[in-house]
Amino acid sequence: MSESKAKKSLNFGTIWQRYGTIGILLLILILLAVLKPSAVFTSTSIPQILKQSSVNILLALGEFFAILLGYIDLSISAACGLTGMVAAIAMTSWGLPWVLACLIGVLAGTLIGAVNGFLINKTGLHPFIITLGTQTIYFGVMLVVSHSQNVYGFPAQFSAIMSMEFFGILPFNACIALAAAVILWFVTTRTKLGRNLYALGGNREAAWYSGINVHLHQMIVYMISGTCAGLAGVVLIGRLNAAAPTAGTGYETYAIAATIIGGTSFFGGIGKIPGVVVGGLIIGIINYGMTVMMIESSYQKIVMGALIIISVTIDHFVSTSSKK
Amino acid sequence: MEPLIKMSGITKEFPGVKALDNISFDILPGEVHVLIGENGAGKSTLMKILSGVYTPTSGKIICNGHEYSALDTKTSYDEGIAIVYQELSVINELSILENLFVGKLPTKKVCGVPVVDYKLMKEKASTVLEQVGLHHDPGTLVGDLAIPDKQLCEIAKALVSGAKVIVLDEPTTSLTTSEVENLHNLIRKLKAEGCGIVYISHKMSELHQIGDRITVLKDGGYVGTYPVEDITIDELVTLMVGREISGTYLAEDGFDPESQPVIFEAKNISRADGTCKNISFQLHKGEILGFAGLVGAGRTETMEAIFGAVPKSGGQVFLNGKELHINSPYSAIKQGLGMLTENRRETGFANNFSCKNNISLVPFIKTSTAGGIGGMLNGKDEQRWAQEQKESLSIKCTSVDQMTVDLSGGNQQKVILGKWMAAESEVLIFDEPTKGIDVGSKSEIYRLMRRLANEGKGVLMVSSEQTELLSVCDRIAVFRGGELRGILSSAEATEEKIVKISTNE
Repeated sequence: MSESKAKKSLNFGTIWQRYGTIGILLLILILLAVLKPSAVFTSTSIPQILKQSSVNILLALGEFFAILLGYIDLSISAACGLTGMVAAIAMTSWGLPWVLACLIGVLAGTLIGAVNGFLINKTGLHPFIITLGTQTIYFGVMLVVSHSQNVYGFPAQFSAIMSMEFFGILPFNACIALAAAVILWFVTTRTKLGRNLYALGGNREAAWYSGINVHLHQMIVYMISGTCAGLAGVVLIGRLNAAAPTAGTGYETYAIAATIIGGTSFFGGIGKIPGVVVGGLIIGIINYGMTVMMIESSYQKIVMGALIIISVTIDHFVSTSSKK
Repeated sequence: MEPLIKMSGITKEFPGVKALDNISFDILPGEVHVLIGENGAGKSTLMKILSGVYTPTSGKIICNGHEYSALDTKTSYDEGIAIVYQELSVINELSILENLFVGKLPTKKVCGVPVVDYKLMKEKASTVLEQVGLHHDPGTLVGDLAIPDKQLCEIAKALVSGAKVIVLDEPTTSLTTSEVENLHNLIRKLKAEGCGIVYISHKMSELHQIGDRITVLKDGGYVGTYPVEDITIDELVTLMVGREISGTYLAEDGFDPESQPVIFEAKNISRADGTCKNISFQLHKGEILGFAGLVGAGRTETMEAIFGAVPKSGGQVFLNGKELHINSPYSAIKQGLGMLTENRRETGFANNFSCKNNISLVPFIKTSTAGGIGGMLNGKDEQRWAQEQKESLSIKCTSVDQMTVDLSGGNQQKVILGKWMAAESEVLIFDEPTKGIDVGSKSEIYRLMRRLANEGKGVLMVSSEQTELLSVCDRIAVFRGGELRGILSSAEATEEKIVKISTNE
């Protein structure tokens, strides 16, 4: 939250909390540069990594808000797949202009988030349970609306824009993720809404007594999460140039991993948007690096899992040791 | 007489702080040794050294003739030392019986497999439960017990382990008068059986009822140990805080609240759960209105309903003659109400926030739009609010950027007060504002409440400490069974009258 102007003593704890995520990023980059220099120092490596990371960063941005409240949103993977499917059907079967179709896809995400928020507020159940249920439902809906078939044949203009690269280095879909990150960073650091979310994540009861409407904020958080998933869905079909009936499966794991590696506390109340973006990039680079090193994707999962545990362990160690 | 435990020359240094400086403390068999001092005086640190949680930097501890330079938790247990903390450590999900033996469950072998020996546990437990007077079925889940019974359960646990020295850390904070009496009877019984009791308390009035000797700590230093009959409460307070504290915070003589205009009024406040029924009262300009009664009499429940934290089933609230429409804390804050809740840690502040962020929380909400979500943060306002409150409430923190959770209890309470002050609340509800706070901070909070009242703000104070109500409030409303049974003026109010009304004796 507030940046202390006072010079803090330089111990491992403060350094880790401030630069830990960036440190991991650099470490992995150096490791990659040593192991496979030919893969790092090419003109295509950066756009490739950015392209591959965009969907995950968008999902992680949404997940960040749920985790900030001390909750979770498991349905983002299905929301991402379903919204992409909706946009794909809208621009193919329905023949709508692609801009409108994309807008419908993103708004479908907002709606999906609102449904999550509504169920969480009305039932009072833990969001883990609600979003586990809605995830399964949304995946099912996706199979129904797509008749379990791939949807493709998008307008040429859509495909062209989605594969655009500025200055040969910045893909268009990375710009979407970046824009979303900037807006959400603004929300978390400059608006009362953002401050309220941190307060809720820190102490829900105290926040309620301080006049923060818990249900209203929970609803907004899940709508943000759903909207991010909607953006991710559109970006995903743009990148693959098709909408698959099972798209998105397992994506929530990577989004949660990016959020946690990015320094967000799983107990809520602590975390920053730039950290989440870097966390998403770390996962993108690992995937990219292992792919160019011809490592099977099964091993990628093992590395990813280990990284989550290591970074959270250090985090836990740091935050408990600073309290003694 | 040989002491059960003798601690001498105990010093404990944490990085940058000397928490204890050359403290001597001993416990004789069959005595209640009271340990007092303000928050941060070092009582808890000393007891944590006794229980083996902390290692002293220097000094020695002699238990039953064994000399140690430091105890660990196991030796402490083996030497018969048990601590009953203010926040009870019983496990709600287990039965009374299982709690008594938790971690040390006796086992027997059935077909070569060790299983828990409940029969043996029952035999051992029955005498101890009888001794402490816990008459529930030992199979009852501890979660189903009331707080005083949980405390008995914890004391029984200490006895089962064969403890000869029992430390009670603020045992009466959440007990009513008659429950305190029961606990004191139990302590007297344990004394007679040769146990040594360490009794930590902020309630000065009970020290003479229960204590034999009193040791005073101040700022980590040893002030002295006195036989209880040789020292008065006033002298003790002076020793603890090193300055005289006057005993009353009442308005000036001749102040008649009834002659002043009514600034705040509650009419027929009721809740659907029946915890408060048709509560009506008026608050006059310049007065502090107190709320007395037993725990569960409906005082906090009424305040929650007024503040909108819990929905009310009926009733009206007026500020300066204008009816307020309150259905949530948000709407209450918008219309000028504020509430300092009873449980500081659970409902008072966000523990991931600095003092500045906590103080600005309510003023930001008060100036927000669209149900609390609309509006930008203004860093300049925030800094000013925090700085003003830090100075006006003399909050002891390194800077307003210090984490609230790192402050002492009294200063945390000031931060919470600061957020309501910064929001310029017209009416403030103080629910047990001095619970677990040292004497020095208590008097500062009383003085502040009086200042607010003098400035024309409404001040309502719920408290379970009658002495506190009597020395602060101009009128005292007494609750019993969810109803307001009577309002006493400060001239007619006495402890006996309050007790009489609140217990219907």
